[in-house]
Amino acid sequence: MAAAADIAQLVLAVIKGIPTGATNDDLTKALTDIPAATRVEGLNILLQQGGIEILKKGEKLIYRAKDPEKVSALPKDADNEEKVVYGIVEEGGNKGIWIRDIRMKSNLNMTQLNKILKNLETKKLIKAVKSVNASKKKVYMLYNLEPDRTVTGGAWYQDQDFEVEFVDVLNQQCLRFLQMKRENAEKKREGPLVLREMSCCTVNEVHKFISDLGVSKVNLDEDDLETILKTVVYDGNAERVMKSDGSYVYRAVNSPLPPTGLIQMPCGICPVIKNCSDCGDVTAINCQYMKDWLD
Amino acid sequence: MSADYLHLCSVILKQCFGNVVESVANCLFSATTRTLSQIVSTTKLPRKEVCVALAVLIRFRLVSFEPSQTNPFLPEYSLRREDIIFLLRHPRYIYLMQNKYGNVGASITEELIHSGSHTHVNKVLLNCLADEDVGTANAETHRNTFLQMISDHYIIKMPELIEGDDQDESVPRFQSDECEYFRHPNIDLHLLSMISKGEASLSDSKESNMMWTLNYDRFHQDFRDAIMVDSIKRKLGDSAAECFSFILTLIYNTTDPWQRKTSNQITFMEIKQTIERKSNNLDLIKYLDQYISLLTDDSLGFLRKVGDMGNGQYLVDMERAFESLAFACIESVITERFGSKAARIFRVIRFKKFIEQEDLQKEAMIPAKEAKSLAYNLFQEQFIHVKVIKKPGGGSNGPAKAFYLYQVKQKDTVRMLLDISFKALYNAIERSSYEKFEHKGLIDKSQRLDAIVETMRERGESDEFIAEIMETFTPPECEILKKVKNRIQALSKAELTLDNSIFLLQMYQHHCTTLPTSIQKFK
Repeated sequence: MAAAADIAQLVLAVIKGIPTGATNDDLTKALTDIPAATRVEGLNILLQQGGIEILKKGEKLIYRAKDPEKVSALPKDADNEEKVVYGIVEEGGNKGIWIRDIRMKSNLNMTQLNKILKNLETKKLIKAVKSVNASKKKVYMLYNLEPDRTVTGGAWYQDQDFEVEFVDVLNQQCLRFLQMKRENAEKKREGPLVLREMSCCTVNEVHKFISDLGVSKVNLDEDDLETILKTVVYDGNAERVMKSDGSYVYRAVNSPLPPTGLIQMPCGICPVIKNCSDCGDVTAINCQYMKDWLD
Repeated sequence: MSADYLHLCSVILKQCFGNVVESVANCLFSATTRTLSQIVSTTKLPRKEVCVALAVLIRFRLVSFEPSQTNPFLPEYSLRREDIIFLLRHPRYIYLMQNKYGNVGASITEELIHSGSHTHVNKVLLNCLADEDVGTANAETHRNTFLQMISDHYIIKMPELIEGDDQDESVPRFQSDECEYFRHPNIDLHLLSMISKGEASLSDSKESNMMWTLNYDRFHQDFRDAIMVDSIKRKLGDSAAECFSFILTLIYNTTDPWQRKTSNQITFMEIKQTIERKSNNLDLIKYLDQYISLLTDDSLGFLRKVGDMGNGQYLVDMERAFESLAFACIESVITERFGSKAARIFRVIRFKKFIEQEDLQKEAMIPAKEAKSLAYNLFQEQFIHVKVIKKPGGGSNGPAKAFYLYQVKQKDTVRMLLDISFKALYNAIERSSYEKFEHKGLIDKSQRLDAIVETMRERGESDEFIAEIMETFTPPECEILKKVKNRIQALSKAELTLDNSIFLLQMYQHHCTTLPTSIQKFK
């Protein structure tokens, strides 16, 4: 038996020498003094240990060494089905894989697969994560992986619920910071360009301000804050300016127009203005909105 | 021209000139041109009344006439539809002149407005003077102001009517000469005083066929400039606004103010010289180059740098300017009507040009359900539009895949908003005349009472007696009257502010589209 293990090590050394994977011919060439039967025995041991994998290229089989770091964390007693499913989940990476895709790939039936998945879950080898995009869709990934942003929705989701209040608070705080910066800049009288330069903020500055403020329980990175700052821009309260080095800075601005005249009377915001005419139920004379406004 | 605008016009004309003029104008509104007999048969009014109505409309420059193409002896009338809304702007015209030329300017403007276009200069001055104490000094300021208003192009000479002799029955024509528009008339103050004393008559004056009228385009130019300067003031501060108003005056030296897209170019040196000569703003003079670059870099895009001649050539980009301003206007309407989240969605679509629902909610950071409902609402009210891109194929395997992209069509949205504004303005006028009609008895009574009290005071009756008369107007009546007055006041204030929005959107149409607009060189 010890001889077989030695042969296995020899075979592994040969296979590792060829990164693209060794064919059977390569092995026979490299290991001329070992009979085919012993070689196969060695290969079997390697396969069992998970040191190599077999790939099929055309008609030929190729043996390739597995990355030792990637050697699965599966306990030795796992059966074949579990290994296969584990492998498939592993392939899914941190994006996760849907149960239907696992079934298609593994060719297992539903009940069996469910059992295996449950088994793996209790062993804390894989975990199920609910996707934000489709609330009923569960995806599986390895237990130690951090789910991808597309799956969890990033910092803005708590158990798939979009946290409106959190976003709103951050939006207001960002705006407040930009406005403070602008006010400070206005106090110093050093010409208009200096004023503009000083009222600009980079994402980094805003990030620091928000972190120091401690409004957020979760850790926000700069990308998260950039999305928040963009909403401030979309609210019309700030401007995004590209600098000469391609980075963006933000600054608070006022709207160029006072509230327009149309919205200062009820007709401008009337939901039924389309139906309003001289006859019918909606007329200027018996309009309730108009009455409320005039009294 | 929309049906909403038709309604608005007819109610304006009814308020200003009465029912006959209104129905004649309505008849003309729906056609390009009509002859007198056609108008008579459509409106079923007596021929004489139609003639008078037409004369009134022509006098106020709301109707023009031309000989028919087939028959040179037959005049055809057409309505200047766009100009009808100017009737509502009269208070603004007077207010502007009041600010520029004081009370004298205001009273001249008022006189010109009241008497329509066929106004002789002497008559205007006489009427103005009749209201006040006639003195030579006063007459002189009136004359000077009048001449100044002509030099500043606020008053323009009407084209002269060429009348043939008695046998010639062809349609009269106007003859206009561009050089003559702003040539000063001779105003003989001595003759004026003689006329006012009754020693001479109006027909004695020379140049009696010279008629003067308000040059609306010039007023609108001022309104437009005020909008632009104010918006810069709001966004970039007072000095930048002052700088921009100097740039505008410079621009008008070389550019037709109503050039649609962009102005002609001016150089930095010209701007600098003007500002150093005319401005007292030290901050502006010191940092002029910085203010200019502030204006060019700003996202509103009012000023654009086009070259380096003379330390930099600049032009005023009217198209960009009014595009930004119209967007600001649309956005403020959306904010009030659908909330600030909807305005955010609108801006996302505007910045991204085309965007799908999924990306939209991610970009705007709004929960999917809310984002969907807001976007659909905006779509339903025509603030945003959907572009469908169909992927070819599909065929037997189910329906072809299609992408639904949101987009903003600013021109359509502006037109829709304009229609709403017209409708709102119509509603305000209707409502206010309804209130007046409903409480007509009360208003009449209070007016009568005021008149009685006035005469009693003049006669020197005792205060107690007057108080007794006043008491016939009971407290509840008083309260109602106060309420009605407040309502009418609110409505007429709304009319004025509404007109501001309408004006802004019309300026957008003038500068950003090729649609025909009310801005037309005097013909």
